[in-house]
Amino acid sequence: MLEIVLLVVCVLLAGAAVVMYTRGKRADQRVAELNAELEKMQHTQSQVIHTTKLASLGQMIAGVAHEMNTPIGFVKSNVEVVRELMNEHRALLAKCIQGFDMMLAADLTQPQFIEPLRRTMTKVRHALATDARLPDADELLKDSVDGLQQIASLVRNLKGFARVDSDGMDLLDLNECVESALTIAAHQLRDRIDVDKQLGALPKIHGIASQINQVLLNLITNAGQAMGDGGKLTLTSKRNGDMVEVEVADTGAGIPDAVLPKIFDPFFTTKPVGEGTGLGLSIVHKIVQGHGGSIKVRTAAGKGSAFTISFPVDHALLKKPA
Amino acid sequence: MSEAQIRVLFIDDEARILRALKALFRDCEVHATTDPAEAIRLASAHDIDVVVCDQRMPKMQGIEVLREIKLAHPRAMRVLLTGYADLNAVLGSVNEGEVFRYVSKPWDNAELRGIVQLAARIARDTPLVLDKPVDERDREQARKQVGILVIEDNAETQQRMREILTPHYQVRFVTSPERALQVLEQHETGVIISETAGQHGDFTALIKTLKQYHPHIATVVVTDRANAQVAIDLINEGQVFRLLLKPVRMGSCRLSVDAAVGRYWQLKQNPQAARRYFVAPSADSSIPSWLAGSLLQRIKLLPSRLLGMARAH
Repeated sequence: MLEIVLLVVCVLLAGAAVVMYTRGKRADQRVAELNAELEKMQHTQSQVIHTTKLASLGQMIAGVAHEMNTPIGFVKSNVEVVRELMNEHRALLAKCIQGFDMMLAADLTQPQFIEPLRRTMTKVRHALATDARLPDADELLKDSVDGLQQIASLVRNLKGFARVDSDGMDLLDLNECVESALTIAAHQLRDRIDVDKQLGALPKIHGIASQINQVLLNLITNAGQAMGDGGKLTLTSKRNGDMVEVEVADTGAGIPDAVLPKIFDPFFTTKPVGEGTGLGLSIVHKIVQGHGGSIKVRTAAGKGSAFTISFPVDHALLKKPA
Repeated sequence: MSEAQIRVLFIDDEARILRALKALFRDCEVHATTDPAEAIRLASAHDIDVVVCDQRMPKMQGIEVLREIKLAHPRAMRVLLTGYADLNAVLGSVNEGEVFRYVSKPWDNAELRGIVQLAARIARDTPLVLDKPVDERDREQARKQVGILVIEDNAETQQRMREILTPHYQVRFVTSPERALQVLEQHETGVIISETAGQHGDFTALIKTLKQYHPHIATVVVTDRANAQVAIDLINEGQVFRLLLKPVRMGSCRLSVDAAVGRYWQLKQNPQAARRYFVAPSADSSIPSWLAGSLLQRIKLLPSRLLGMARAH
């Protein structure tokens, strides 16, 4: 009898062990599956973030290309036209030189040669002296120098915006970042939106320029999109105690209450499929946090929204003698 | 041009662009302004031949300015000069501005001069067909008589077009350039409605070539392959009459086709005016090989049913 009981107990124990073992194994398997899934998701997310970066790069290139088309347009035309004007002026000069040569070769004792020559020369001299081509060319060249400076500053801005030369932390002037981002976004705003800049004197902050620029470009672009029928974009920067702040305010549609809590969530978007990734503001949030800063939003339906990003002032930096 | 100087009007919000254009066109009578409202007044006041207008301006978009000038002073030929190929602007320049050419910044001086001179010559020599509504009886007659050819190989779109068009017009449907030519050879066709491409290839070369040799035929392109550059080429090389995006909507489709039938009808009565929609034949090298051979010959030989029609070369 006892043997039977023992045997049953043994069998039960063995069964339990087997069950426990397979359970454990299944759990292990589940963990592995979850890990794989997580890895896949992280990969996808990094791909999407990469795509967003590429999209913002594309936006940047399109913006700058458009801004450059105007100065390139008139500089290119002007240089060609100035060349034509020079050639026409040169033809006039050649006539004048021809007259001089004739005068030098003429027999000055013969007044019947001198008089017609003098008349011709007076005419040529007058034409040369009053030729509008030189002042015209001068004006065109002045515009061209202007235009080239504009192109140079756009390129400088672009380089400053992307900061491909530096990926690390730098000392940044937030106002410069605002100007950079505005240049890049200019073509999206220009026709419809008035831009009001209220930029105060700011101490520098520690940060990664390309990321801060991306934050500002995202906020400015969003503001522009919120004002589909035009409006006013106000950019304000100031120091507020231990923080420096930039506010990007629009007079657009505003954000509905139901949507407001979700705006920083990754993949949340109110735009039609294919037009927004839903990552813009989540990236903004992540970058600002990464810089030890914070982001606030005020919004009123139908009146507009204002996003304020603030970053800590570096005290060590302030105390350091200039 | 032998007679008086060309009178050209430039509109751009950038004064330096205007100064550059003034210098470039120093042998013309140039009027220039940064103010769109002023531009509309100047166009009629100086009996302008050619208007060259920027697209993106703060107060008014270029296509709006051109649309207003088209109403106030229809004789002027219209050119849009723009730094940015934005699809909506391109569509607007066709459908509202009915522009002669769409030029991108930075422009090529020789090319722009050539376009303005050609446009001015046409504006001076060519009578104008006014887009005044044709009276209802005329319209009925036109609908009965003018053949419409639809080139479209998507069965669904074809079906939709059938529903919209067959109750009102003489419509024929084909799915390939080859079949399109057969129809054109056999029937008087005033309007061609076409996709930019089918499953087996591009249709734009056909649309452009037909226009180059038969400028009186009005082309309506209906596409879901929207692309600014393709659209610009359809203007500059094919003088497309209307450009619509799919899905096909009953209202805009009927309006466009009615306008196209009206345009053909007016050109038929006034064949010289077709020069206003002139496009030079494409260089041989840019004609695809499937079109270059016998199809091109057949296009050239299509019966020109309109007497006195100036051949486009």
